[in-house]
Amino acid sequence: MTASSLTLLVALVVVLVAFVIQRRRPRFTVVPKLIAPPRGSAAAGVIYAFTKAFAPTAKESASLHLLSYLAGIGYHLATFAALARLLVSLLPVAVPVAANTTGAVLFAFGLACGLALLAKRTLDARVRGISVPDDFLANLLVDATLAAGLAASLDSGLVPLFQVIGALLLLYAPLGKLRHMLFLLTSRRWSGAYFGRRGVRPNPHTSGIPRG
Amino acid sequence: MAEAHAKPPAVEHALKVFREDLDERTAAFLNACVRCGLCAETCHVYLADREPDSMPAAKVERVARLFRRYHTLLGRLAPGLVGAEPITEETLQALAVATFGRCTLCGRCALNCSVGLDPATIIRFARTMLVAAGLVPKGILGNIDAARATGNTMSIGPDEVRETIAWLEEDLRHTLGDPGASMPVDRMGARVLYALNPRELKFFPLSISAAAMIFHAAGENWTLSSTDFDITNYGYFAGDVEAQRAIAGRLIRRAEALGVQELVVAECGHGYRTLRWEAPEWLGRPLPFAVRSFVEVMAEYLAAGRLRLDPSRNPDAVTLHDPCNLVRNGGVIEEQRYLLRHAATTFVEMTPNREDNYCCGGGGGLLAASEHTSKRLDAGKVKADQIRATGAKVVASPCHNCIDQLMELNRHYALGIEVRTLGEIVADALVLPAPPSS
Repeated sequence: MTASSLTLLVALVVVLVAFVIQRRRPRFTVVPKLIAPPRGSAAAGVIYAFTKAFAPTAKESASLHLLSYLAGIGYHLATFAALARLLVSLLPVAVPVAANTTGAVLFAFGLACGLALLAKRTLDARVRGISVPDDFLANLLVDATLAAGLAASLDSGLVPLFQVIGALLLLYAPLGKLRHMLFLLTSRRWSGAYFGRRGVRPNPHTSGIPRG
Repeated sequence: MAEAHAKPPAVEHALKVFREDLDERTAAFLNACVRCGLCAETCHVYLADREPDSMPAAKVERVARLFRRYHTLLGRLAPGLVGAEPITEETLQALAVATFGRCTLCGRCALNCSVGLDPATIIRFARTMLVAAGLVPKGILGNIDAARATGNTMSIGPDEVRETIAWLEEDLRHTLGDPGASMPVDRMGARVLYALNPRELKFFPLSISAAAMIFHAAGENWTLSSTDFDITNYGYFAGDVEAQRAIAGRLIRRAEALGVQELVVAECGHGYRTLRWEAPEWLGRPLPFAVRSFVEVMAEYLAAGRLRLDPSRNPDAVTLHDPCNLVRNGGVIEEQRYLLRHAATTFVEMTPNREDNYCCGGGGGLLAASEHTSKRLDAGKVKADQIRATGAKVVASPCHNCIDQLMELNRHYALGIEVRTLGEIVADALVLPAPPSS
């Protein structure tokens, strides 16, 4: 195993352990099992939150800011692809040409999305006003990872560089805003269950009242 | 090092809550916000004032900065990098303005957050800290004190309840031409306890009369209570965990003592939410009776053929304001529409509506916080514009809190509308059988 692979592997282990610790921190009180009888289904709400709720038309925040939302989706898809590519780089397998090319296109698109979002954060006074240095650092770290992924897709000799930058990204993830990669999942689960259980989204129409 | 010195008591108390009472769900939300700001236009306060501080993300960020200071490694080691801030008297004061003055806990941002977090849960936790710090608006505290001391926010005693109901009952018999019509009080073993907002007894007795007519027409076995009848809960608005439990507990124990099968909550959004959804969690036990909104009950009567309505008796166009706590946070969405389609000639929806509807601006206890009156009326502009766009002459709202705000908006924005409860509109449309011949 190369030094860069080992670095990436260590970073992976660290990030997993850190996320497990953050997820299970005993300092936060446990939300007890809910007692009030449900009107809808918490499970249906969670499913909705992880499926239809991602549609650009499902939420005003997305439909009113379509370009930003789509840039965010593109950025995150590319980031997940980069993380997957990093994992593959630890395995003794050759990446098929088609996958490599697809990855390169995705990383380039994701990088463009990331830089556009960085520009928005810098230039839009409203977003800049709620930003902290961590927002810029996190964006630059992801952008660097995507750029390195793109470079490694074009020149396999740059895979070690991709692995080292990817390791830095992973090591920083539990510390700053990047930890939303974990807490986005838990937040969606909580709010999805909330609105689902109360019969709001989705609305099961269980009241027996004729619709229309 | 400055934090090593003794802190003011308000800071100590808030810090204790922040360190010991933060739950896993709120912590997850605080960890998840990416400060994208896409939530801005989902908030009626921001839409009205366009101030960056009114964006849900900005309000969340005030709490998140404190969270990062006390609950994250980088917040302790490099606070400048992650924007972490300690709790001080200044941050608490700013938090009080942000959470009580710029938020009605309506939850519209939660439904629309691109990440999926719930800012209202975070704001309510911040309010809990402010309770500990003694920074809750005095008007809200006054209502809590009255409810805990007397059983209702307006300190109405049982004799006054009985006298008011006796007068309404006499009026009901006269209106119906039926000497057998009754408005029972403290009837043991009734199937339904109809619990009130005390403002109905003082200022809106006709909404109680309307409910009585509907129960009478449906042949319901119901009762009112002369004590502990208050469905409102300012402890909930304040984020006062002890007070909200105590206030809800009084009414629940009263319903248990009367032996009812169902607690029907008069038209009140947060009253429904707290009693239907929150109270079992606060008390840590299931309730031995069902809790439903009067809106659900009326709709059930109508669907079952227990009410006959003539929509021509409400000829003016009616629009509907969906109270946030009943609809977006309560799940009662279609029943009020079903009622209005049968009780009024013309029913016009606002845009947006149902769970997407905008808050009237008076939620979250803001109506009792006189220091934020100007902000509250400004924030109501979105609702005023929505109403005006419908062209309706009547605005129905199944919530007395919303009705108070809508009546103020009517004056402030010269809307020229009439604001009514669902019950009043349904009662006006009732087709009653001929009274028994005496």
